[in-house]
Amino acid sequence: MDAVTYPDASVIECIKENIIPLRIPSNSEPYATDFNIKWTPTIVFLDEKGKEHHRNVGFLPSDELIPCILLGIAKTFYELDRFPDALDNLEKIISGFTKSGSAPEAVFLRGVCGYKHTHDPKPLKQAYEKLNTDYKESEWAKRALPYRLLP
Amino acid sequence: MSKSIQWETDFSEALKKAKAEKKPVMLDFFNPG
Repeated sequence: MDAVTYPDASVIECIKENIIPLRIPSNSEPYATDFNIKWTPTIVFLDEKGKEHHRNVGFLPSDELIPCILLGIAKTFYELDRFPDALDNLEKIISGFTKSGSAPEAVFLRGVCGYKHTHDPKPLKQAYEKLNTDYKESEWAKRALPYRLLP
Repeated sequence: MSKSIQWETDFSEALKKAKAEKKPVMLDFFNPG
């Protein structure tokens, strides 16, 4: 990550604009134990109280790290009930990083977020339809399967 | 634009900054070698 991903200008800009970056050695206590760190690199996404909302284990190139960061931000906001903020970040993944590993989960979460924000089931059905069309082999398409029955 | 990531190294300070800027924290556990 230090040699390839973190020096990338697009990664630097994404982090500067969207998130507070913090680095801690993987053997630093109490954090290694508190966050159950067993391998590096491990990236954990936290809210301002230090509560975890998302993590990634293993190397990511820049075109995967950026959507991973956006997903981490979106999941943090989603779990804090900040649905419009979560949706903004999910849209960035879905429109700008369509081939990334984070995209199918972003589509799924956009459906859930949209439903929770509006109480309208349409976003869930739309999530199923997009996953079934664009990411048919992903686990997220399978998770969305029940939403095909929605009106 | 910064030429490198401006990493925080103190957990508590990072949380304070997150609260002030209303942003999440990305905590990278790295191998110290």
